[in-house]
Amino acid sequence: MINFHPDLVHLRAFAQGTCPTNLALMVSAHVDMCPRCQALVMQAQEEIGSEVFSASSDVIDTPPDYNDMLQQIMQSPAFEVPEVKAISNILELDGKRFELPRALARYSEKTGNWSRLVGKLWQAPVDLGQEGQANFIYMEKGGKVPEHTHKGTEFTLVIDGQFSDGLADYDCGDFTIMDSTNKHMPFSEADEGCLVFTMVDKPLYFTSGLARLLNPFSQLFFK
Amino acid sequence: MLVGIPLESKHSHVVAPKDCADEMSAYLVLVGQSRCQRSFAEVFNYFAPRLRSYALKQMGNEALAMELVQDTMSNVWQKSHLFNAEKGAPSTWIFTIARNIRFDMLRKQRNRKEDICADDLWPVLCEQTADVNEVSLDEQITLQELGVLFEELPKKQREVIEAIYIEGKSQQEVAEQFNIPLGTVKSRTRLALQRLKEMLKDND
Repeated sequence: MINFHPDLVHLRAFAQGTCPTNLALMVSAHVDMCPRCQALVMQAQEEIGSEVFSASSDVIDTPPDYNDMLQQIMQSPAFEVPEVKAISNILELDGKRFELPRALARYSEKTGNWSRLVGKLWQAPVDLGQEGQANFIYMEKGGKVPEHTHKGTEFTLVIDGQFSDGLADYDCGDFTIMDSTNKHMPFSEADEGCLVFTMVDKPLYFTSGLARLLNPFSQLFFK
Repeated sequence: MLVGIPLESKHSHVVAPKDCADEMSAYLVLVGQSRCQRSFAEVFNYFAPRLRSYALKQMGNEALAMELVQDTMSNVWQKSHLFNAEKGAPSTWIFTIARNIRFDMLRKQRNRKEDICADDLWPVLCEQTADVNEVSLDEQITLQELGVLFEELPKKQREVIEAIYIEGKSQQEVAEQFNIPLGTVKSRTRLALQRLKEMLKDND
């Protein structure tokens, strides 16, 4: 059951097309999984469309001559129908198969190699081009990310399974945004573990015990 | 809806969008079914000027705004058969087309490079392997192992590392605590981390 949704502000910005692209990707994937947010986005689109095109919306003076444009549009050749290629939305790790939401399906084949992390964690990077990078993180049962806070913002979407982080329990489809005000230690006790899709715009900052050693000199340890 | 705002002169029958939605819907359906030019002109005349206002606000530039208007209205003309009157109002449908075109236009405009990579974002946790099956989980360095190695450090180095990384003190504070020069704190830190690195290597 989905309990964590994007803020209404984010949903509206997503509907408007004005939220940052990386956030838009996360929201889009969440919306694929969440009927509530689907309805909210559709409602927002309706409201925005109606505002933009309201009869009394100011029509700026000295309008250009639209007639040429109208004629040009109607005389232009028909668009070519693009070939629709079916893409697999299955992401594989170690024999496990995960079904990705539509928005993320195209990354099923673009995802880099899975890497082992500390503990029972696996990571596969996703190149988002100009938008930087995201990661699929898979926590095996008992897998744990050392307690950390965030210098920037961390977006997380649960794709499969469940995890907890000392603040709450998260289920498939849950969407969270964490920043420097949140300190947490994600771990999964689910039998099937937990696959999340996550993005951070600044490095994590480990806060507890020896894990703090990992912060500034991490490159020494994990080359 | 605001009252008292002068309405566009061309449209003597101008009404609120909700009220004209049915009318515009009907025109769009006709365009979709029979490429009716007269119906498209009605749709165009209503939406294009409003789209231009929106586009000017969004793009901040007359040329780009008109490009957005033209591309959007071309899509409306070409894809009108995809409009489903039962699913929503024309204003919603046309807005979503404009929004998507605007987004792509802005993307093309932008050439900024954001050099965020996985190593930046997940610095510690990442260990690249060519083949996920190659290395067994047992061979991993865990925090527990790190703790064991840590205990093997010479006492003076361990104290410094502990004070900095576990108690969260600055190097200056550590120098004062142990009454040693700052340079010594720095060298002990460096030596300790080198030592740990070597121990981790040997441990492999």
